Amino acid sequence: MSIRGRLTIFATVALVAGACTGGGTAASSAPSVAASQPAASTGTVASTPPASAAPIAGGLLDKVLKAGKLLVSTDPKYPPQSELEPDGTFKGFDIDVATEIAKRLGVKVEFTTPDWTAITAGGWGGRWDASVGSMTITIDRAKVLDFSSPYYYTPAQMAASKHSGITTLDGLAGKTVCSGEGTTYDQWLNGTLNYGTGQDLGKPPAGVKTVTLPTDTDCPDQWKSGRFDFDGWLSSSTTVDGAIKAGLPLVKVGDPVFFEPLAVAVDKSGPPDTDFVPMLKKIVDDMHADGTLSTMSMKWFGVDLTVASG
Amino acid sequence: MVAPVASRGPLGLGVGAESIVRAVAASRRQARLRFRLIFVATWLVLVGGFVILLGSTGRIDLDFLGTWAPFIIGGIPITIAVSVTSIVFATIFAVAGALGRLSRVAPIYATATLYVSLVRGTPLIVQVFFVFSALPEFGIVLPAFVAGCLALSFNYGAYMTEIFRAGIQAIPRGQVEAAASLGMTERQIMRRIVLPQAIRIVIPAIGNEFIAMIKDSALVSFVALQELFWRARTVGSSHFQSFSTLVLAALVYWALTIVFSLVQERLEKRMAESDVRI
Repeated sequence: MSIRGRLTIFATVALVAGACTGGGTAASSAPSVAASQPAASTGTVASTPPASAAPIAGGLLDKVLKAGKLLVSTDPKYPPQSELEPDGTFKGFDIDVATEIAKRLGVKVEFTTPDWTAITAGGWGGRWDASVGSMTITIDRAKVLDFSSPYYYTPAQMAASKHSGITTLDGLAGKTVCSGEGTTYDQWLNGTLNYGTGQDLGKPPAGVKTVTLPTDTDCPDQWKSGRFDFDGWLSSSTTVDGAIKAGLPLVKVGDPVFFEPLAVAVDKSGPPDTDFVPMLKKIVDDMHADGTLSTMSMKWFGVDLTVASG
Repeated sequence: MVAPVASRGPLGLGVGAESIVRAVAASRRQARLRFRLIFVATWLVLVGGFVILLGSTGRIDLDFLGTWAPFIIGGIPITIAVSVTSIVFATIFAVAGALGRLSRVAPIYATATLYVSLVRGTPLIVQVFFVFSALPEFGIVLPAFVAGCLALSFNYGAYMTEIFRAGIQAIPRGQVEAAASLGMTERQIMRRIVLPQAIRIVIPAIGNEFIAMIKDSALVSFVALQELFWRARTVGSSHFQSFSTLVLAALVYWALTIVFSLVQERLEKRMAESDVRI
């Protein structure tokens, strides 16, 4: 689309091509070009030709470039990462990240809204190209999906209803905790969350019982309705903050229980992605390096969540 | 010999009888009118009471709905498109299914019976999920709209198979025998004698199924179709206003079914016209 977008794709393709062929002049100069372009800049180098290196025929990159658009799945029940505008468009951190990735690929971005469980299950059948949906990289998901490097990290935060009077993590021992269906929070509560990195993710409160609802925000919404079948709620700290800000009757309980690396995902069973995923990783790394992601994180979360912690 | 014309009223009866007939008709009209008025008043009281009850929960946010109602209501065309497309294909499935269920050829009968049994024996939501998420495993990737419509029509086709079968069997056996004695083949009897009458019998039932379909179309929200229910649910859940948005969606579904019920009522009357004595 923009000159800067084309420039970046050229640089990225050149880098990938250079890496494959054993290096060259393009490869050594490309990173500095990409890194020197801040997110908001439109660039002024007009003479750079568009990407010419041929992607794998029939591959995902080929498909995206030919279509001129990146079709991204998003779950707009998850503010401030993704939510609807009254005119049916989307906004949020994930939306901005997806838009920027498409821009750097030199294509348009479009969004589709399948159920979250349909996204994490893989087998997308080519209905959409990528998920930019704050998805945690787990060992189970990595069986069906390929991931970029993490584009940010969220703390998983435990919360309790005001009704329960619980204020400490230990207070939730033996109680029921709610989380969204198919989320890492449900897995963590059940002791099955595994990043595949050997990282110790800690243990849930002793004897905790679990319940899931279709999406994270449904949990505190039950408290708002006056249902107290469960006392705790585990979700991303960003979602918990959103619920508190919306005036729902809950309090944060304890420090974050674990941290999640969140990445762009691509379907393993889809078109070959061996050229797409490295490019995705490169784009995400560039967006880290040039401060684009930090700026977006500050804009949507008020804190910089792009650095690994915990 | 002919009675003087002047002594007869416009109905051709004697003057005394005439006024009695008029009085009876007028009182019947009045009774009907009263009934209707009471009907409307009762609805107003009940619906008004319900609205007040909902309002008293303090969870209906009118400002919020004012902002979002256009978007949510914007799902109606998709809901109707899905329902209409699905009912058309369901009818095709149903005719094929019914003929299969009445077939004397064992494999055809077995296939049709398996279809009805399998579809009626599994939840619709599972079928929607299967068409959307499991078929791609076999290399069959359908766009969301097609996947949603296929699941709905396949499901409704099975239920409607039984409706069509009943419609076909409702045609008196004597007619079939009469047609056969005229030398018609079985195929001709089905096409010329049985099906035209069976369709007249089942059309009101199809209307009924259609109304049910409008509501079941909410299940295709799973496959990324932004129809009415999806919109209400997504908007409500991300703003913690599910109560407001779902009440709105319910009202819209209700309004839709009322409209289509009226259409169906007319259709039913039209189809029964030949049974009415003049």
